[in-house]
Amino acid sequence: MKQSKIVVDTPSRQAWRRLRKNPGALIGMIVLTTMIFMAVAAPLITPFSPTVQILEYSVKPAGFSGKILYKKNSANPDQPSIIAVESFSEVGDSVHYTDPAGQPYVIPTSMLQGANKDEWSAEPTFLLGTDRFGRDMFTRLVYGMRISLSVGLISESIALIIGIILGSLAGYFRGGVDDVIMWLVNVVWSFPTILLVVAFSVILGKGYWQTFVAIGISSWVDIARIVRGQFFSIREQEYIEATRAMGFGTVRTIFRHMLPNAAGPIIVLATAGFATAIIAEASLSFIGLGVQPPTPSWGQMIKDGYGYIALGTNWGMTLFPSIAMAIAVISLNLFGDGLRDAFDPKTSQR
Amino acid sequence: MAKNSQSRIVALLLTVFNPRKLFYTVLVLLGVIIVTFFIRPPGDPARVLLGQRADSASVQNMRVQLGLDKPLYTQIGMYIYNIVRHGDLGKSIATQRSVRETIEERLPATALLAVSSILIATILGVILGVIASWRANSWVDSLTMSTSLLGISLPAFVVGLLFVLVFGVVLEWFPNSGYIDRGWEHLVLPMVTLAIRPLSIIARVTRSSMLDVLGQDYVRTARAKGLSSIRVFMKHALRNALNPVVTTVSAWFAGLLAGTYFIEFIFNWPGIGLAAFSAIEKLDYPMIQGVVLLTAIVFVIVNAASDVIYSLLDPKVRVS
Repeated sequence: MKQSKIVVDTPSRQAWRRLRKNPGALIGMIVLTTMIFMAVAAPLITPFSPTVQILEYSVKPAGFSGKILYKKNSANPDQPSIIAVESFSEVGDSVHYTDPAGQPYVIPTSMLQGANKDEWSAEPTFLLGTDRFGRDMFTRLVYGMRISLSVGLISESIALIIGIILGSLAGYFRGGVDDVIMWLVNVVWSFPTILLVVAFSVILGKGYWQTFVAIGISSWVDIARIVRGQFFSIREQEYIEATRAMGFGTVRTIFRHMLPNAAGPIIVLATAGFATAIIAEASLSFIGLGVQPPTPSWGQMIKDGYGYIALGTNWGMTLFPSIAMAIAVISLNLFGDGLRDAFDPKTSQR
Repeated sequence: MAKNSQSRIVALLLTVFNPRKLFYTVLVLLGVIIVTFFIRPPGDPARVLLGQRADSASVQNMRVQLGLDKPLYTQIGMYIYNIVRHGDLGKSIATQRSVRETIEERLPATALLAVSSILIATILGVILGVIASWRANSWVDSLTMSTSLLGISLPAFVVGLLFVLVFGVVLEWFPNSGYIDRGWEHLVLPMVTLAIRPLSIIARVTRSSMLDVLGQDYVRTARAKGLSSIRVFMKHALRNALNPVVTTVSAWFAGLLAGTYFIEFIFNWPGIGLAAFSAIEKLDYPMIQGVVLLTAIVFVIVNAASDVIYSLLDPKVRVS
């Protein structure tokens, strides 16, 4: 017998319907999806490696294009070394070229990577210019997106795990457990998040994972609070009494019956936390903690460009990563606002 | 009659100095100090400070000097005792000066920046929020709300850099860095930069709170009585809409302090944040501890104070 599918109008389905009608949230979602795709496909859509330096072409403005030759790299055949040239010409089995400083050189064609002129020479355009080490800004921006998005994802996951566990324990058991956990919550809450992130970065040291962990363990407080609050009211509902009557264990009750009913506010907070994490990482990198060079990160790039702003040269080095970050954070905020309205239409802003 | 006023005073005192809340605040402060104690570089701080090539004798010396040779609980105990008894935050490793002295010396600069910013943010934020709610869904409203979304989304240091670029470098209206000892115009850029984020949030909170209140029955009643709409707006609505705004402002103060430190770093403003962030490079952890601790304590006190103000204003919250 064929089973007919019963469509239940669940709260999440209603929320999704409301979300679809919110233009801001949709724009945010589209931009975020695009960013995720760009971050994943970074090697395919960027012309260079994020760490490749062409020192002769350092601090060039957006749209700059310069000739380069690819020289064989015996240490790493997949990544040829790059020679910046002003001009070049093929003479017999060697190439004569002048570098940007005007010095003439001769190099045998056999030392260049590739079989013909189209393979060993190129004239790439640096869409957003280059940085202090002649690295392509566009490439680094896209790779920086990887860092920012993974910071958001991993740090927020850490925060969610800690926040949900502590919040549910406090909300479910109340009494002494609640008192102890709330004391911890209030202690951590007394530190501004960004300062706590800085403090944990000093404790854990600089680096990739340290940054993720430092941000994660600094941002669980709001989640713990909201989960606890939700649990206080959910605990009194009849269906929770029913789980007790049926003899369900604590863990099963919490994870199968209470958490799903508190999911809406948690998702909303997590989205906001995602944006905060991106800002926190950039702030950390800006003061010299956080993800360390040569790994590209937006905060790092903004910091690098900062020195050039005062000189009034090449603003793009600061402007482009700032814009990228603003777009990411605004999209997250729009999406988060939409989610909040979708999950709780009562509090929506008119 | 006299008895009545006496019991009133007792009730008032109990509200302000609620023993339970006071005790709890002390417990939280204790936790804050313990957390701050652990802000130190990973591994052996003495080794980190002296570098990998230092001989073991001088490392041992440094350990004794920093009190690291004692067991952990003694160290924590000493740390708490020194802070509570003498207000002693230790000595900066880089400058060998008392951290407390450095902080006392630099606090006025930070306070000036933070207080002037929150004032500007509150005044402008409330005005903008009220205007936006006055003509809800008009172009003024949309413009204010979308600009404030931008203000919320950009971290203070990015706004700061953009302001430096536009007003400092391109237009040359205001100086890029430096303190007010070289003229008050040095305050403008850091103050405005710092105010952007709280201003955006206050404007949004004011607007939504105003819209909430405007939908209430008593506002409708006031309108029905024939009061002029501007009077209803200012006297009946705004007054009641300000409560959440007060909460937001006080809750934002500590966050603003942390933001201040980044702004000080960008504008070379000689406050405690600049001292702390410069200390990070040298891993001068007592200096970092001092600034972090001070910020947290300010936050706890501001919160406790706003709690008291709240309960004094709202009879429902007052202890019975």
